Amino acid sequence: MTDSFPIQLAVMTAAAFLCRMAGFTLMRFVPLTPRVEAALRATPLAVMSGIVALALMKGGLAEGLALSAVAAFTLATGRDVTAALVGVAVVAALRWVGV
Amino acid sequence: MTHALFSMDGFRRGVRDGVPLGFSIFAYGLGFGLVAAQAGYGVGKAVLTSAAIYSGSAQLAAMNLLQTGEATLWALFATILVINARYLLFGAALQPWLWQAGKLRAYGSLLLLGDSNWMLTMRMIRAGEEDRAYLVGTGMPISVGWLGGTGLGAAAVAVLPRPEAMGFDLMLAAFAVSMVTAMTKSRSDLMPVIVGAGVALGVAQLVGPAPAIIAAGLAGGAIAALGAGERA
Repeated sequence: MTDSFPIQLAVMTAAAFLCRMAGFTLMRFVPLTPRVEAALRATPLAVMSGIVALALMKGGLAEGLALSAVAAFTLATGRDVTAALVGVAVVAALRWVGV
Repeated sequence: MTHALFSMDGFRRGVRDGVPLGFSIFAYGLGFGLVAAQAGYGVGKAVLTSAAIYSGSAQLAAMNLLQTGEATLWALFATILVINARYLLFGAALQPWLWQAGKLRAYGSLLLLGDSNWMLTMRMIRAGEEDRAYLVGTGMPISVGWLGGTGLGAAAVAVLPRPEAMGFDLMLAAFAVSMVTAMTKSRSDLMPVIVGAGVALGVAQLVGPAPAIIAAGLAGGAIAALGAGERA
């Protein structure tokens, strides 16, 4: 193992850059059939839903309540970015009171 | 090829929508800065790391690995690759829309891509956003928040509260809930949501959280592709 920071950083940056560019580049050569289009349209929903499911699994009552508040706030107001910040505030408050 | 719209207007719209994200990423940056400082990084080293890798989750995983003292360069490379493999899906999902901006603008935009502005941009594309400069716009406040937060976190490690106390570890999940809620408009949208959650939970139990997210995306996409074939 090298302790050289520039080399470590270069290696990590290369990996991150590869991930950032490769999916986009590969898709340039995939014809956009209705099937592919449907898959690409569904992917964001599935990824985000997966992120939420893992957070619920890992979290406790405070996290569950905060994320429910986010969904309710989004449905009620349509302001989705604000809703996410409300969720962060809710979980901070719940943890502060010891939930 | 005529290029799609890429205007100052769209850029400004993106900046405006990205500002609230910038604030939460700032707090996330504080978190990384704290961790980096505890691992002996100074402000310059921490900010350089955040600028070059530009992915909080990958950087935190790498710091964990480095602190074990047994990290090889291959292990570092593989860790970032696994944690950031979701960017393969991010890029693929953006490609049909973003590519129309032209090669340079498209690849340039990808440099400022992160979890939160990917979600936001995918949502706005669905709502009919035509201006490809929107993505870069959202990236501006986020990158300022990320680098500023990292620097401050590394500098002020002794006096700052833990980011968990402020709830910012839940930011990404909260953002995902709001985007999913806003984007689920029809019954056909429910299928990827259910499949994504189920597959993520299953794979997380069996393998781990990073592959779980990728598996969720792939499974949701595959189910939707099968469904599209039936309708065609």
